[in-house]
Amino acid sequence: MANLKDIQRQIKSVSNTQKTTGAMKLVSTAKLRRAEELAKRSRLYAQKMNQVIAEIAGRIECNKIGGIENCCFQKNDNPTMVDIIFVTADKGLCGGFNIQTIKAVNKLLKEYKEQNVKVRLRGIGKKGVEFFKYNEVELFDAVIDLSSKPDKARSDEFIKTSVEDFKEGRTEALHIVYNGYKNMITQELHVNKILPIDTDGFDCDDVQHSSMLDVEAENEEKMLDALVTRYVDYNMYYALIDSLAAEHSARMQAMDTATNNAKDMVKSLKVKFNKARQAAITTELIEIISGVESMK
Amino acid sequence: MDTLKLEILTPNGEIFNGEALSVVLPGEEGEFGVLAGHASLTTLLTSGVVDVEKKDKSVEAIVISWGVVQVDEEKVIILVEGAAPIRGNNEAEIAQALDDAKKLIKDVADSSAAIAVVSSKIESAAQRLL
Repeated sequence: MANLKDIQRQIKSVSNTQKTTGAMKLVSTAKLRRAEELAKRSRLYAQKMNQVIAEIAGRIECNKIGGIENCCFQKNDNPTMVDIIFVTADKGLCGGFNIQTIKAVNKLLKEYKEQNVKVRLRGIGKKGVEFFKYNEVELFDAVIDLSSKPDKARSDEFIKTSVEDFKEGRTEALHIVYNGYKNMITQELHVNKILPIDTDGFDCDDVQHSSMLDVEAENEEKMLDALVTRYVDYNMYYALIDSLAAEHSARMQAMDTATNNAKDMVKSLKVKFNKARQAAITTELIEIISGVESMK
Repeated sequence: MDTLKLEILTPNGEIFNGEALSVVLPGEEGEFGVLAGHASLTTLLTSGVVDVEKKDKSVEAIVISWGVVQVDEEKVIILVEGAAPIRGNNEAEIAQALDDAKKLIKDVADSSAAIAVVSSKIESAAQRLL
């Protein structure tokens, strides 16, 4: 009989968990809607910004603009020090969302280690930071509550060190790793090389055919500088808001699965409970019947 | 007359996307106008007013803060940090747009002369709409 009570307790506890995960799913859905809206509005701007930068980089690569020696566009094949910034969530319970980012960072770390390149790891988000601290990987710096509340001013402040170090030649590359939002059910891992600006895949022929207005190089230098800074700033900020949207969608999904699992579990526990109950009744009946039989 | 494809984007979304006859931009070194078929050019914009002459010859003023413009033969892409278009269907909406634009320019412009220039421009743009 104790067995029956045990099962009953189990059913109760599982259905309580189901209620919790169901509520968390609803919360994530509401938060996702807001984050998604923000990310969607910014996406177009981010894309165009990258396009403009890519085109400028391409033109420099194809020598259409002479006399530019902005370090942000110069490739370095033998880096000695690189910056890696990763963005994870502050909270767990969102499936493989954080671990995917961490794995990508680890892969990148390994690659650089094989090339004997020093890496400065800069983290945003509690989960990733905790992981690397636990595994005794050195972090250059870490910010905890930025990924749950993206803020342009704070993200600018954070990225500033990396940009300055890059411009002054202390680091040779800058990567941003984050898990971005693709749609309600999928996240997309981004490993973006922000600096130096990639000029691969640019078709020089396209450029040669278009006309180009010449502006003084001195002016261009300044312009590029301002543009690159904005480009990096915005990419950082966009990574944050995209990651937030992805986090909520991942959590929504994880909680949905958890709720469904709990539902299945309650169902099978109920079957188990009924079987046990039936067995108990049968035993009781047999006892009574055999008692009556023996009295005859 | 030829038209050019104009896109004005801010981090908060699109402000303008469509055909235009011409556009006047507040460049870092002074105002310049762009017609269809303009040579390729990429330059910075300072805070000021973008005048868009639309297909029906009406002119729309859009106040912008810092930005960058990319011009090529058939299209003009303007990326700005903040923008406030002077538009609206009735007096109240236009007045609201005007207030927003003034607020934006006060936040970004550093000299009172620049603010005054922009203010007078948008006032007259608003007058045209009324």
